[in-house]
Amino acid sequence: MTEIIVEAAPSPFRFDPASTALVLIDMQRDFVEPGGFGESLGNDVSILQAVVPPLQAVLADARERGLTVIHTREGHRPDLSDCPPAKLMRGAPSMRIGDPGPKGRILVRGEYGHDIIDDLAPLPGEVVIDKPGKGSFYATGLDDLLQASGITSLIVTGVTTEVCVHTTVREANDRGYECLVLSDCVGSYFPEFQKAALAMISAQGGIFGWVAPSPDYLSALTADEPTLSA
Amino acid sequence: MIDARTTNVTRAPARVGSTDGWSVGPVAARPYAWPYDGRVDTRHLAVICIDWQVDFCGAGGYVDRMGYDIRLTRAGLPATAMLLEHARATGMTVIHTREGHAPDLGDLPANKRWRSAQIGAEIGSAGPRGRILVRGEPGWEIVPEVAPAPGEFVVDKPGKGAFYATNLDLLLRTNQITHLLLTGITTDVCVHTTMREANDRGYECLVLADCTGATDPSNHDAALHMVTMQGGVFGAVAEAADVIAATDRGGEQ
Repeated sequence: MTEIIVEAAPSPFRFDPASTALVLIDMQRDFVEPGGFGESLGNDVSILQAVVPPLQAVLADARERGLTVIHTREGHRPDLSDCPPAKLMRGAPSMRIGDPGPKGRILVRGEYGHDIIDDLAPLPGEVVIDKPGKGSFYATGLDDLLQASGITSLIVTGVTTEVCVHTTVREANDRGYECLVLSDCVGSYFPEFQKAALAMISAQGGIFGWVAPSPDYLSALTADEPTLSA
Repeated sequence: MIDARTTNVTRAPARVGSTDGWSVGPVAARPYAWPYDGRVDTRHLAVICIDWQVDFCGAGGYVDRMGYDIRLTRAGLPATAMLLEHARATGMTVIHTREGHAPDLGDLPANKRWRSAQIGAEIGSAGPRGRILVRGEPGWEIVPEVAPAPGEFVVDKPGKGAFYATNLDLLLRTNQITHLLLTGITTDVCVHTTMREANDRGYECLVLADCTGATDPSNHDAALHMVTMQGGVFGAVAEAADVIAATDRGGEQ
């Protein structure tokens, strides 16, 4: 077993890459790209775009090291049979789930906007979890998959920090997984929520997990590599 | 014999149903008039009282031991007591939750235990109100101001969320509950986690701001604000008096 130690809030985060998965939450065109559903709701997607370069570096590193990589997508079946009425009817008329949007039907599986952005596209062999809610555990096979793979720690990234990222971290924490949230690889349309959501994770001795910026995470992994002597 | 208090869900004799046609809505809530479908019969409406336990809002309990000000976590008690009186008079279902672990700590994840030790209040260790967050101990009991009445459900949960590893979802579906009013502590931890779980399961949620509280005022404010974004991403926010004002015998309108 290899123990990696990352300087994090509220205390150093320790993990073994062999039992750790990198989770990329909802990096979908509809949420992240200009002209998507997120922008059509009046959100400034440029804030979310800032997450992409550091997340690309983290993803490339994980692939090189052979970490388990898991992508999630929020969306519903084309017939909307898995969309609760309370979720469907909350949207403004014409902006509801299933309605035609700039990149296909809004939050419907198989539509262009529902898929993951090209810069972070899953490779063959990487897991893609389709989820009907904000959390990645409810009504999905994620927990079974992690158990079967012997995963006990999660490196959490994606959007948006206070909604799908937070819900997933809360679910994971209750199930006993150790979560490190990479602060520059998670994004929110609202800067004040980004700050509050990250603070909540590490409060009370790390009530939901740990928080660190991705350079600290990457340098901890690099420091562990055996150096070649001349 | 099994102590009823240690079972996952306990239930005393059946409650009296709403035979008088009480219903609620629309409630003056943020960001939309709640519920989304206009009005809900109290037979389909439950008040969830989350973790009003000595350990979270009593002297000598877990939160007190961690060094936080329990006046903040007690702030929602008067409004919650008022709401409960109203709920019981109008036929709503009332459900109480308690966070806690088995005496042998067999359901306590290792990282949760480790973190509680780091902050000086290890779960399972002895404190002024008994062993911290252990089922059956004085600190784990619900405080008298909002204690369960006979016939009300009590759900014991090992995590922050009230759905994970409990029978709550089954309980709600079996009793045809579709709408939830949320009270309890703390706003950003157990209340929010439960609201997120409920929302993903399709329950229509209203969190009552004056019936909640947190160990940090800014986390309390941020947690409530988050609910109101994106058209009510997890539901809506109001106060106890708004629910009371929107309750009458009108039935479906």
